[in-house]
Amino acid sequence: MQQNEVPILAFNNVTKVFPLKGNKTTHTALDQLSMQLYPGMVVGLLGQNGAGKSTLMRCALGILTVDSGDIKTLNESPAVLSDTAKSRIGYVPQQPFGYEGFTVDRALDLHRSFYVDWDKQLEQEWLKRFELDVTQSVQKLSVGQRQSLALIMAMAYRPTLLILDEPVASLDPIARRKFMTDLFDLALESGSAVLFSSHITSDLERVASHVALIKKGKLVLFKEIDTLREQVKLLKVSVDSELPQHLDILHQTNTADSMLILADNCQSQEQFNGLISEQSLNLEQLFMELHR
Amino acid sequence: MLELLNVNPSSGEPIYRQLHDQIVRLIVGGQLQAEDVLPSVRQMAEFLAVNPMTVSRAVQQLVDQGWIERRRGQPSIVAARNCTDNTSGGSLMQPKVDDLVTQAQQLGVELAELQALIAKKWAAK
Repeated sequence: MQQNEVPILAFNNVTKVFPLKGNKTTHTALDQLSMQLYPGMVVGLLGQNGAGKSTLMRCALGILTVDSGDIKTLNESPAVLSDTAKSRIGYVPQQPFGYEGFTVDRALDLHRSFYVDWDKQLEQEWLKRFELDVTQSVQKLSVGQRQSLALIMAMAYRPTLLILDEPVASLDPIARRKFMTDLFDLALESGSAVLFSSHITSDLERVASHVALIKKGKLVLFKEIDTLREQVKLLKVSVDSELPQHLDILHQTNTADSMLILADNCQSQEQFNGLISEQSLNLEQLFMELHR
Repeated sequence: MLELLNVNPSSGEPIYRQLHDQIVRLIVGGQLQAEDVLPSVRQMAEFLAVNPMTVSRAVQQLVDQGWIERRRGQPSIVAARNCTDNTSGGSLMQPKVDDLVTQAQQLGVELAELQALIAKKWAAK
């Protein structure tokens, strides 16, 4: 992940505000968010419902316009993406739609015609793996099958940028695992970047090279997952302790006689006056601690 | 040897370190002998359903530490154990011993009692 490369997707101080219906207040969905995705990165986006994950993705695709800051998607402005750029992006929204009234094979025929780089062999492989009946009408597919079809439609041309909004929620564990292997192939062999959101933290822990944690529109953490495990710790300290300067405090909970501190930038085996205990966290625990 | 590997993505410990420690344990424990061929990064990643970058990081560390040997265009193999290398099974037990002692102390179990428990289990095996 050489930083001198051009990022595939770059957010620079992006803010997006939605007006709230009925009154004059507004809701800040993205708050001065900056983040860069380079080739080979598989970025897992984690955040509560309403934290801004889908908004972030829609802004990157030009479906929504930002209020301030800028985005470069394949080095272009998402508002005026060229046809070439569009044919190098894959997107699976939370609720796939379209092709109602088509059978699976006719839907694929039409979809395929939009992409010059379509890999027919890959398409066939995946149809078989997801056990999709091509004569079935798209409307009659189950939620999981519909999602599988959307994944094929977004990935069979090996996009340079792949954006997946909760892609695997409806897939069974075996299909999810195989799908993850495909994601690695895409990211590492085709040098693509993947941005995906999921609430299934154990999947995220397996698949992501990086984790981006969003809370109320702000990017709280963006790190390589291994580094995150080593540097983000839950520290229990006495009330009068002096925290070392290098710690970056993400969250703090006070109890009667001690404080629980969720800290970033921890060194291995922190030692300072007042430290009672130190605990490593998995993503789910980290998520819970951050939202206490 | 793939079936000997297993990682828990939801433990707080980085996956590359879990994998690294497991392979070291297999070598020290003799399940992996010098010149045994290792599965490729890709095979391990696919089998464990984890990111290949993570596996490659563990392998790189093992190479740097002299546990395994990378050969150009061929699969990696377990390196010959250097006779000055003194990594023993016992030293790999240390973290587990630390945990056990901490727990015993929290529960107020005396050393003699703990030793007796270990001896009993040992004899039963």
